[in-house]
Amino acid sequence: MVVESFPNVLNWLFSGLFTFLALVISGGVLGIIFGFLVASFRHGPIEGFYSVAGVLASAPGDFLGTSYRRTWAISRLAVKEALRRRVILVTFLIFASMLLFSGWFLTNVEHPERVYVNFVMFGTQLLVLLVGLLISAFSLPEDIKNHTIFTVVTKPVRATEIVIGRILGFGIVVTGLLLLMGIVSYIFVWRGLSHTHQVAGDRQAISSLSEINPDQRLNSRGGRVSDNAVQWGETTFDDGHRHDIELIEDVRNPSSHPPLNSENILESYTRADGKVVYRRVMVQPSSGHTHSANVSGSGESATIELGNSAGYFRARRPIYSAGLDCFDSSGTLGGTNIGKEWNYRSFIDGGTPAVPETLSRAEFNFENLTRKQFPDGESLVIEMTPSIFRTFVGDIQKRVIASLQFESIPEDPETEPKLQSEPMILETREMTIQSIPISDRMNARRIAPDGTILESGIYGLFEDFAGGKGNRLKVILRCEDLNQYIGVARADLYFRGQDDVFWWNFVKGYLGLWAQMMVVVSIGVALSTFLSTPVTILGSLVIFLIGFCTPFIRKMLAPTAEGTGPEGGGPIESFLRIIRQENMVSALETNWFNTVIVKTDELILVGLNSLTYLAPSFSDLDFSRYLTYGYSISNDRIMVAILIALAFFAGSSLIGYFTLKTREIAGNT
Amino acid sequence: MASTTAESKAKKLEQTNPDYNPDVVVETQNLSKVYRDFWGRQKVRALNALDLDVRKGEIFGLLGPNGSGKSTTIKLLLGLLFPTSGRALVFGKDTTEVTKNERIGYLPEESYLYRYLNAEETLDFYGRLFDMPAKVRKERSRQLIEKVGLAHARRRQLREYSKGMVRRIGLAQALINDPDLIMLDEPTSGLDPLGTREMKDLILELKEQGKTIIMCSHLLADVQDVCDRIAILYQGELKELGRVDSLLKVTDETQVRVKNLPEAAMKEIRDVIQKHGGELLSTENPRTTLEELFLDIVRESQQRPGHRSERARK
Repeated sequence: MVVESFPNVLNWLFSGLFTFLALVISGGVLGIIFGFLVASFRHGPIEGFYSVAGVLASAPGDFLGTSYRRTWAISRLAVKEALRRRVILVTFLIFASMLLFSGWFLTNVEHPERVYVNFVMFGTQLLVLLVGLLISAFSLPEDIKNHTIFTVVTKPVRATEIVIGRILGFGIVVTGLLLLMGIVSYIFVWRGLSHTHQVAGDRQAISSLSEINPDQRLNSRGGRVSDNAVQWGETTFDDGHRHDIELIEDVRNPSSHPPLNSENILESYTRADGKVVYRRVMVQPSSGHTHSANVSGSGESATIELGNSAGYFRARRPIYSAGLDCFDSSGTLGGTNIGKEWNYRSFIDGGTPAVPETLSRAEFNFENLTRKQFPDGESLVIEMTPSIFRTFVGDIQKRVIASLQFESIPEDPETEPKLQSEPMILETREMTIQSIPISDRMNARRIAPDGTILESGIYGLFEDFAGGKGNRLKVILRCEDLNQYIGVARADLYFRGQDDVFWWNFVKGYLGLWAQMMVVVSIGVALSTFLSTPVTILGSLVIFLIGFCTPFIRKMLAPTAEGTGPEGGGPIESFLRIIRQENMVSALETNWFNTVIVKTDELILVGLNSLTYLAPSFSDLDFSRYLTYGYSISNDRIMVAILIALAFFAGSSLIGYFTLKTREIAGNT
Repeated sequence: MASTTAESKAKKLEQTNPDYNPDVVVETQNLSKVYRDFWGRQKVRALNALDLDVRKGEIFGLLGPNGSGKSTTIKLLLGLLFPTSGRALVFGKDTTEVTKNERIGYLPEESYLYRYLNAEETLDFYGRLFDMPAKVRKERSRQLIEKVGLAHARRRQLREYSKGMVRRIGLAQALINDPDLIMLDEPTSGLDPLGTREMKDLILELKEQGKTIIMCSHLLADVQDVCDRIAILYQGELKELGRVDSLLKVTDETQVRVKNLPEAAMKEIRDVIQKHGGELLSTENPRTTLEELFLDIVRESQQRPGHRSERARK
């Protein structure tokens, strides 16, 4: 899964607050100028000055006079309006009928849980945002058109109360809707995916399994079986998939392991060397899940019963590195350019036949790594989602080989020795989440800064490697195949921490939807204070379109690696280049005229860039892919999303207040 | 407690605003309103240089044909419209000041209420807008619903109400805050004769309680029955302003009404009148009807646009 930002709520708050204040102040100044121009056009400059000053002077009083009871009255009215107009009921019925018929289309895919979760999230998002937009865009213009607003604004109601009350009221309505849809979705996904199989063959018994030839270790379909499997069978084909069933021999040392007690044990006996052998029935995972097996009876006639599907719903909690450094073959920072335009991943090479020794590597620097973050009693797992770039295809079945190495990070690398583990060789897998079990104790050497080996032995990952200040650890990934490349981004290698509870992660995903919906309602209400319904809807849609494209727009405005602005310069420079028929990359002549242009362009770009913050960046608020791919959504992300919603709520309330305050309610109707 | 704060507020106003006179509830100076289109071009001059003041405790009527600027005046006073020039003060405060609304009740021309609420919810909603605590709201709603005679329909949504019923609940919402100044825009429109009578009685009752009332209407009989003073507007200009009784007094006629007068005395009186060349009608100052006065003014204005009524100058 592509993860481009790793927000930290405090850092984000600091820069976000700064951007927010800058936008509010500049927006305020522009608003005052605009208001003054309009007022002086209508009444002359002196009267214009007084009317603008009057509005500004009454603002603090209005904000301070805002009453909880009046705001709540407006909110209640908004809720009642939506309920009595049956908005919730109708929307929910549409959603329910969507779910009713979707079951026909969602089966027979490789990862049904992804399709299911994606489907309900998308359906909910679409409906909730649409409802939020429509009710917020219709309400106030409708009130003004019907003159019902007359009886409200002739009461001691502040414009703040009308705007905030409405946003909150519609917020409550759509929150209720979201809650309802969330619960129904959860049940739908749960029920839709739960299924069981039967053992293929006439009898639901051990006798349906067939013996495995110990030399070939292949099943009758030609697939590989587990190392300790002695018998093999398969389940019936249901819901577009089947599972392998294996009877395995699990050998355990009774002195170090407590006796095993599980439903899937057929029989157990003690071997001549004193070890206990458990013969167990295992159902192998297929399309993202597995089943429990329940064995009753003994011998050939023992029956096997498969349990409900398990393992669909995960919330992996990745522990990402604090930073990733990629080095190219000469050991300089930056990775190797393989000519791909997308620069999300950096590539490392495995050397060439001519120069097999390469210094190319990817260093993941972890911080604050402690044992507490990992589940007790289970082995440590590193998960990897690398991208492979092959310069020759060769045997496509043969996987590209990589190695992992662990290193401690001494506080002062110039004087202190570091620990370095033996490299761990592994096959990479593409298009899947690759789990690599690692031991928390590993063979390593202690190396002095000058390269001499001080000692070697077995060291603990947490105690010795990451035991220093800040619990830092370096994981080094290398490509061990000549002429092949491995591409990684910061999110492509992580320690798998203790899993999050799935339903809580589901709630967090819906919190993201909630934040999106609050933004939509806030913008809708703010625009509806001065625009008619159709224009409000159109305006909101334009803002959301920009919001969906913000990552792209910001990338377009961001400086390139070489120069100060985008390719070909900012707006004025690129315009001049078109007129003068110059190419995009050649540098401009250095003279005062060009300097002025470049500097002006820089200012314009900064301005345009800050304008993109006026539209909500939906990529920061959309967590559906985390749920789809089974990743836990970090609390920082949720906090950032809620802060974004709050910022839009505050900004929209301000805009709404001033436009409603300066609007002649009874005019032009 | 509430009254002391109101008093102290009034005192503060007197200190800060030297022009403030607590007896003048509403004051307009040179108040004008021009409706413009989007580009700022003048569409219509709805009100032209209106000067008037409404004193505490009186019933003030705004009269005029359709489009004469009555509703515009009320909307300007309520802050629903902003004046093009001149100014309007209500309780000595600018009309855009939101706090003035705490002492105002407004019954709009048509009752613009939320049709999906029932009577109780409507009053509860408007009560909340005055920041009234729940207990007070409940008690006040109950009283008002009974007062306007809607107790039987208190739980029905307004969309099921007849026009007269909507009018009544509209009046109830205007009174929810026990206002000092009540503005009624066509209070009797849509009411049957019985309802009209009740409305007029209620208006007089409110006056007795010391409230100030501004009503605008083109139903002249209603105005004549209840108003103390009236202003007649025509095409945005003030044509007539004064007390109803003096405006309707016909000064060149004398009316005598006597009961049980012997025929001889009657003859004597006739002789006296005849001697002075008069013609006996009755011995009182007779009244014209407001309808006649109104039609006179409208006719005159049509003939001599832009002038104040001849009668007013007399």
